[in-house]
Amino acid sequence: MEEKYLVCEDSLEGIFTGIYEAYSLKEDHNHLHIQIGEEENLRLFASYTGIIPDSGKAVKVSRTINKELGEETYMCICRALASEDRDKGEAVYKTVVCGLHMKNGRQVMGNLANPYVHKVFELSRSTNNEVLHLKGFLRFQELESGILFAKIGPKNNIVTFLAPHFADRLPLLNFIIYDEIRGLFVVHPASKQWYLVTNTDLDPNIIQNYSEEETKYQELFKYFCHKIAIKERKNLKLQRNMLPLRFQEYMVEFW
Amino acid sequence: MMHYKVMEDMSIMEKLGILTDAAKYDVACTSSGVDRRGDGKGIGNTAAGGICHSFSADGRCISLLKILFTNECIYDCKYCINRRSNDVVRTSFTPDEVCELTMSFYKRNYIEGLFLSSGILYNPDFTMELIYQTLYKLRREHRFQGYIHVKAIPGADPLLIQKAGFLADRMSVNLELPTAEGLSRLAPNKHRKNILAPMRQIQNGIKSNKNEIVLYKNAPRFVSAGQSTQLIVGATPENDYQLMTVAENLYEKFELKRVFYSAFVNVNEDKELPALPGGPPLLREHRLYQADWLLRFYGFKAGELLSEEKPNFNILLDPKADWALRHLELFPVEVNRADYQVLLRIPGIGVKSAQRIVTARRNGFLGFDDLKKLGVVLKRALYFITCNGKMMYNTKIEEDYITRNLLSVKEKLPFDKDGITYKQLSLFDDMSFSMQPDVTDTHKAVLGQL
Ligand code: SF4
Repeated sequence: MEEKYLVCEDSLEGIFTGIYEAYSLKEDHNHLHIQIGEEENLRLFASYTGIIPDSGKAVKVSRTINKELGEETYMCICRALASEDRDKGEAVYKTVVCGLHMKNGRQVMGNLANPYVHKVFELSRSTNNEVLHLKGFLRFQELESGILFAKIGPKNNIVTFLAPHFADRLPLLNFIIYDEIRGLFVVHPASKQWYLVTNTDLDPNIIQNYSEEETKYQELFKYFCHKIAIKERKNLKLQRNMLPLRFQEYMVEFW
Repeated sequence: MMHYKVMEDMSIMEKLGILTDAAKYDVACTSSGVDRRGDGKGIGNTAAGGICHSFSADGRCISLLKILFTNECIYDCKYCINRRSNDVVRTSFTPDEVCELTMSFYKRNYIEGLFLSSGILYNPDFTMELIYQTLYKLRREHRFQGYIHVKAIPGADPLLIQKAGFLADRMSVNLELPTAEGLSRLAPNKHRKNILAPMRQIQNGIKSNKNEIVLYKNAPRFVSAGQSTQLIVGATPENDYQLMTVAENLYEKFELKRVFYSAFVNVNEDKELPALPGGPPLLREHRLYQADWLLRFYGFKAGELLSEEKPNFNILLDPKADWALRHLELFPVEVNRADYQVLLRIPGIGVKSAQRIVTARRNGFLGFDDLKKLGVVLKRALYFITCNGKMMYNTKIEEDYITRNLLSVKEKLPFDKDGITYKQLSLFDDMSFSMQPDVTDTHKAVLGQL
């Protein structure tokens, strides 16, 4: 039988729409696939269909996942889809198929012997690790305007996973988290809901000079980090292993 | 209230340097144990797993602003850099200075909160009062809702300790030395009963607070992230068996959340103390942390791991492999059927992978390939397990043979024999495979210094 590829946009909405379309074909799932982005590497004896994201269809899929596979599985899938992996769409699609076949779909993520489930599990775990890392490693700098500004360069698209944590933590403060790889900004105005904007929507004048006190606290913290180390236990390799250089670049204590 | 001399002429930078330097040997720096969302009216929240914000040059996690309130001290503990007889520059913070540092570090996301310890200025009550005032200002004036770990000063008025406990997330009293003799020799001004009294008080406080919370949901929380302590390793001649027995007692009788082990660093070069030409006993500390994990998460008892006849851990093997080799009659274990508790005792299988095995085998028999996906370290486990009745290779169940093979897989230690080189993170098999429930703990377990 001919293999069919549904080519989806690289977004939650795009991939969920793809899953919706795959189900409406009512064909054998083994021969249906989800591919992300451009129709590259075309295979012979395969057909390709472009899928246009449709929020109505995507919402239906997300409801089904939540209802049948549980909220935890849903979060797992969302984290997997935040990764940069090219095959994540296929893995998520086949995991949904696997879960809907099981007597208790809520246990689908325990079925790690299934390679697609295992892949979703791994992707979700690695995104989650980066979120956990950045909850600690992200650094705010205070601008003249009093706004706290943080720049990050994450591997995965996780700025929306970080935002709720910091919104809960700093509810009365104005802050911005900037993903410089993707040109995304999380903006949190004091005592209000946070929102997401892209490079083009943001007035660059917001990010001007740093506050007078900023350097003082950076110096104090650097000194603290220096003093807290026990020289008899010095172990720079261990430090680098726990705190990879790609994070250090963005952290004041390593400047 | 007495007035203490605040060094007006010393900058905050100098004070921070001195009072960080003096606090760094206290190894408890986790921000774990309590999940608390912000209430929208202040600043801060806490995460049950804790959060590491940075790592210092010794590879240890920086989670809290760990400082002493003052390095003045009326006592003369031989192992301590702040002891009265040492000629060092002395200084003290004011409560406002501690608040300012905490708040400005916290909002920049440098830290998860404050760890406030102290030397004893004038007397225990005076010191505890200052600590309490600092906490009060932080919580009430600055509306700080992040993590606070505070020391209970032995000998201080129980009322002050209780008041501080209602503002702190974690409290600790350091036992420091495992036996009363060790303590009286090295800390002549401290008495074991003075240390155990506040520990018992905090334990009882936590218990009755839990009952109150059941009755009144909004009752104020008392030390909700639990109590911890620290033991110094290698300053006195106690063996590992004594240390583990003390730790076990602290977990069982005092319901401590954590016991920390601190490889002794001879800062004072005191004649009474061992010279340690090889540096601090890091490998020993590492083994103690491994054994501590076995007590807390793997259902082991101290008496299973060590005994009067064999009072110290094996240098070459981790305590779990060491135990398994002495109990070969229990192996091999059939992975598809064994109870969770039995799975936990297999070398190469950790808490997470054991949990995953239990879940995954509901969907069918597991083979060796599947185990690998679940995070089992096969090159260690293969001598101890069967899948569907078969062992992975045709291996003998024989102590010498397995020991040799296990040793040929180089153990990944956070440091080398010379104490420096870092191999790769791994403590309990699947530790690098997954996040454990407690992030800050895990990072430290990896270091073997928790
Ligand atoms: S009481 Fe002992 S350990 Fe504590 S600061 Fe004073 S001298 Fe050091």
